[in-house]
Amino acid sequence: MSTVSWITVRGLFGRRRFLLLLPLPVVLVLLAVLSRSLGVDPGEWGPPVLVGLGLAVVLPVVALIVGTGVLGAEIDDGTVVHILTKPLPRWQIVLPKLAVAAGVTAVTVAVPLYVAGVLADSVRLGLSLAAASAVGALAYSALFVALSLLTRRPVLLGLVYVLIWEGLLGNFVSGTKVLSIQQYVISLADRMAPTGLLEAGVSVPMAAVMAALISVGFTVLAIDRLRSFSVAGETS
Amino acid sequence: MPEPTGVIHDIGYQRYTGPRLGRRAVFGALYLHGLRTAFGLGRSAKAKIFPWLVVAIVSVVAAGITAVRSQVGETVMTYAQFADNMSWLVIFFVAVVAPELVSRDLRSGVLPLYFSRPLPRSDYPLAKLLALATALWLLLGGPQLLMFLGAAFTLGDGMRGVWNELLDLLPGLLYAGLWAVVFASVGLLVASLTGKRAFAAGGVVAVFLMTTPVVGTLSIMPSRTVNELAFLASPSTLVQGVGDWALGDLLPEGQGGILIGDFGPVYAVAAVLLVAGCVALLMLRYRKVAAR
Repeated sequence: MSTVSWITVRGLFGRRRFLLLLPLPVVLVLLAVLSRSLGVDPGEWGPPVLVGLGLAVVLPVVALIVGTGVLGAEIDDGTVVHILTKPLPRWQIVLPKLAVAAGVTAVTVAVPLYVAGVLADSVRLGLSLAAASAVGALAYSALFVALSLLTRRPVLLGLVYVLIWEGLLGNFVSGTKVLSIQQYVISLADRMAPTGLLEAGVSVPMAAVMAALISVGFTVLAIDRLRSFSVAGETS
Repeated sequence: MPEPTGVIHDIGYQRYTGPRLGRRAVFGALYLHGLRTAFGLGRSAKAKIFPWLVVAIVSVVAAGITAVRSQVGETVMTYAQFADNMSWLVIFFVAVVAPELVSRDLRSGVLPLYFSRPLPRSDYPLAKLLALATALWLLLGGPQLLMFLGAAFTLGDGMRGVWNELLDLLPGLLYAGLWAVVFASVGLLVASLTGKRAFAAGGVVAVFLMTTPVVGTLSIMPSRTVNELAFLASPSTLVQGVGDWALGDLLPEGQGGILIGDFGPVYAVAAVLLVAGCVALLMLRYRKVAAR
């Protein structure tokens, strides 16, 4: 484990802040257990819990908090200078940070989704949800890490994407689904475990290609932006 | 022994003899400053982007509704429904503004300066809360006024038509006030827990978004009572429940209608308790604030 990733992990978990990440997955598991124990039809509670809460809220919000936290917090503090002045190629800074962000997000989201998927249908659904959400975690993390280098307000811009693009427009304008990571995750999970619970909005090859494109593209963009990064004071 | 040569010069130090403004002036200044901060007035262009983006979207929606109503004669949504349909934007606006109001002060450590003024502990959070609630109410009420003006000038029913529109508008504005108070108190409480604007914004959105699917799940439980009480679980559906009970016919059930049965008063009490609880916790939060 490289020093950069070690520093990043300590930056994420060193404070009490990371406890903020816990309630979201816990609520997800609690709702699934509650619905299951009361014997509600999985066809009814599956979509709101798995998609409405898990894939549409928990995954993007956790990815947003973690993804902008690994690099954005250091930029805010100004401590990013200490890393930038070390004789490290920029990709050795971005890649470990991205790996930590994607890993933490994937574990935080995939475990409760696996549990909820098993309770809803089968182990297969649980595994496919976990795998698809890990892919989604990578894509979201790449996007949000790149955002924290492109702008000084990465969280708000990320919220615009999650809330307005995926949340609000995704419901009304079907064309935006082509550029929505949430839809890729749903498609991939549905392909791996075909049940009636998930409703794919985009085709599977397209989802896979776009998810890979977004992950790689935004990572390259982040490395490129860090090459010519100027440290400025806090925005007013 | 030489004569002492040092001289004490009178360089004109003076006491302040002008009027001393008291608690009310401090409160008023904090409130006005908070309201200006909410919309990024008096700040750089960067601070104006996100608030005015939200304002622009709601205005465009209101203008669209007005245009459709005047041209086609079809009422797309009533004044009260307008607030319901804008709930995502309201959440986003709270996530933008609440951290600006409280998290920046926590982060830059200026609270000791505030509290060294004749300012009681409770006034600071109350002024901020009032500012946020006013900003939210303007955000929801302004477009409604736009819709009213559009309808009043194009419907052509004379003064009677205008009067009827006004009777529709006023409950809508009250309802927007309810939205504003509930969302402001919850959002400001969450934002006041951290000095990092980024984390505060994420936390506000997490709280509001996480609770909505809880409602969705509870409302399909195999118990009618649980179903009708399910909407208590999320601030936005709680407000809609109160609106459904208090306004009745102005919020037509139908698309996504909220079925609360006979529990209307419970919803009203819950809304009051939620706001009171959040304000109490906010006071508790500012009883003792670390300088840094």
